[in-house]
Amino acid sequence: MHWRRWLVPLSALPVLALLAWGLTRDAHTIPSPLPGKAAPDFALQTLSGDSLHLHDLTGQPVLVNFWASWCLACRGEHQVLVDAAQRYGPKGLRVVGVVYEDTRDNAQQWITERGGTWPNVLDIGSHTAIQYGLFGVPETFFIARDGRIVYKQIGPLDPAVIDQWVPKLLASSAAIGPNVPEQPFAQGKSEGYVRTSPDFPATRGTTPPR
Amino acid sequence: MRWTLAVTAILALPGSTSALPFRVPHSAFPVLQGTASQTDTALESRVREVAATLRCPVCQNLSIQDSPSQLAQDMRKVVRERLAAGETPDQVRRYFVSRYGEWVLLKPKASGVNLSVWLLPLVMLLLGGTVIWVAVQRWVARGTSGALPAPGAAGAMRDVGELRSRRSALQASLKELEAEFEAGRLTAADRDYLRQRDQAELTAINEALKQHKKAAPEPPAPTPPSAPAPASGRHVPAAVGWGAGVALFGVVAALSLKGSIVKREPGGSITGTQAGEAPRPTSGGGGGGEGGGGGATFGEIGPLDSLRIAQLEARVRRDSTDEPALIELGHLYLTEGRLRESAQVNMKAVQLAPDAEGTAEAFAHMGMILWSTGEMDGALRSLDKALYLHPDLPEALLYRGIIEFAGRRDMKEAQAMFERYLAVAPPSANTARVKAMLAATRANQTP
Repeated sequence: MHWRRWLVPLSALPVLALLAWGLTRDAHTIPSPLPGKAAPDFALQTLSGDSLHLHDLTGQPVLVNFWASWCLACRGEHQVLVDAAQRYGPKGLRVVGVVYEDTRDNAQQWITERGGTWPNVLDIGSHTAIQYGLFGVPETFFIARDGRIVYKQIGPLDPAVIDQWVPKLLASSAAIGPNVPEQPFAQGKSEGYVRTSPDFPATRGTTPPR
Repeated sequence: MRWTLAVTAILALPGSTSALPFRVPHSAFPVLQGTASQTDTALESRVREVAATLRCPVCQNLSIQDSPSQLAQDMRKVVRERLAAGETPDQVRRYFVSRYGEWVLLKPKASGVNLSVWLLPLVMLLLGGTVIWVAVQRWVARGTSGALPAPGAAGAMRDVGELRSRRSALQASLKELEAEFEAGRLTAADRDYLRQRDQAELTAINEALKQHKKAAPEPPAPTPPSAPAPASGRHVPAAVGWGAGVALFGVVAALSLKGSIVKREPGGSITGTQAGEAPRPTSGGGGGGEGGGGGATFGEIGPLDSLRIAQLEARVRRDSTDEPALIELGHLYLTEGRLRESAQVNMKAVQLAPDAEGTAEAFAHMGMILWSTGEMDGALRSLDKALYLHPDLPEALLYRGIIEFAGRRDMKEAQAMFERYLAVAPPSANTARVKAMLAATRANQTP
């Protein structure tokens, strides 16, 4: 008979447990499926008009940094990237900027004003951004020598993140994480290509996503 | 009908309505492509279907179909390319899941933890039903066993708890018996008979309890006398109430879940806005643009409107007699404050079919344009014509009301217009403002 008195409070327990689990999670944390997987390949035009193929960088650790000139957070981050390129560039780190939802002119002006010697490619139509599951800028992907994404930074980089991950990327040619990709750089049928889109709206740079 | 997508007007204070105060929410128009060939239409509807199930990464809970942001547009393009390349909608969705995670699906898969959302209401319903069923069974059984004095009944009850609860039930019943008798609802004979019967059973139970104690000197159960004693046979046990509550919760949860995952029309709004409801005011784009829930957006043009304008312009270029395109274009130009262009296309529509009901909207637009350029008489004539063609066109009623209210200060007329507007227009962001103005017209009329 006594167990029945506990029936109602006990039946509330699973509900409470569910609430406790749900309410203590950070709803803004969205697990990305990409770390551990091969970095999506892309071949895009740089600001200076050359073609850059990510696949060509296999064997070197790469930071793929998505940014835009209208992005406020990217301003502070830029100096971190400049420092990282200076410190780790000679040791083999490569940095590739991907210009997101922006115009060539705006991006070029940004680089001219703020420096940076690494190549920046234009992602017209955001194909590469979507390939990388981008939520916004800045986002940075840390890619190991074997072409696998090891870490994804959402939001601006800070020196601590650089110092935490880049030495690991440089130190090891072997796998850092648990998964080893079957082949470096995923190659798909529409996995990035150079394209000059005639339907590219001229106003794009002025209407960044909010 | 198109006019049900009524303009979202800012009807601020009477004096400040000179700015063009409305905009068509982007959700009113699905993204259409200018091309009209059959295959394109089929592809576009598939694109819409898939896009409506994918979450826009830079927005607050919008699908990439509904979002006007650039990234959503680019994602729609990817959807289109992949569908055109022969992928199935599921394959396209899987592609986006592989990039953004399951987060990108607006309707989560019914598996894993998500499954609880689907199953919990069902479980609750079953649980509640069981509780009720058990409670009713016991209640009925107790009622019948209580009807017959059964001296051996106490012996049949093995459970100490059961005996105790029966004992307290009998005690309560005896008390109640006295009360009933004193209230005159029982004859003395009946009272004596029942009391005798209950007391006999009570004695038997006490006897049985004593024997239990002797047989098994278990520590006395810490049952406080205030424990929820099962009520006498005449009262519904509390368990039934609990059970009913739980079952009700299950039903409500199930219904609200069903409502929240109701299948949408392709391109429909994910917030479940029904056709008759007012389209919600839009944010200009992504996450940051949200806020101020019911506030209408003021003169802000989403990229989608520009896109829509370009499409309509292309349609008009191909066929300059495309009246629906002209009228919609007139509306969008007006929204953007491009008065001259709006006037041009509205005039064209008026010339095409001066006396058609559909042209009423063009006259209403013209009225608003004329008023905002200071031509009040012309504006009123134009709105009269609009209301003549379509007596209940909400836009015309609204504009006419505003002009009467803010321009001519004819409160009586304004009141009539606003009342009519509220009667015919579906609830929208304007409703509250019109109500406020209506109150103001009434206040101004009282001497």
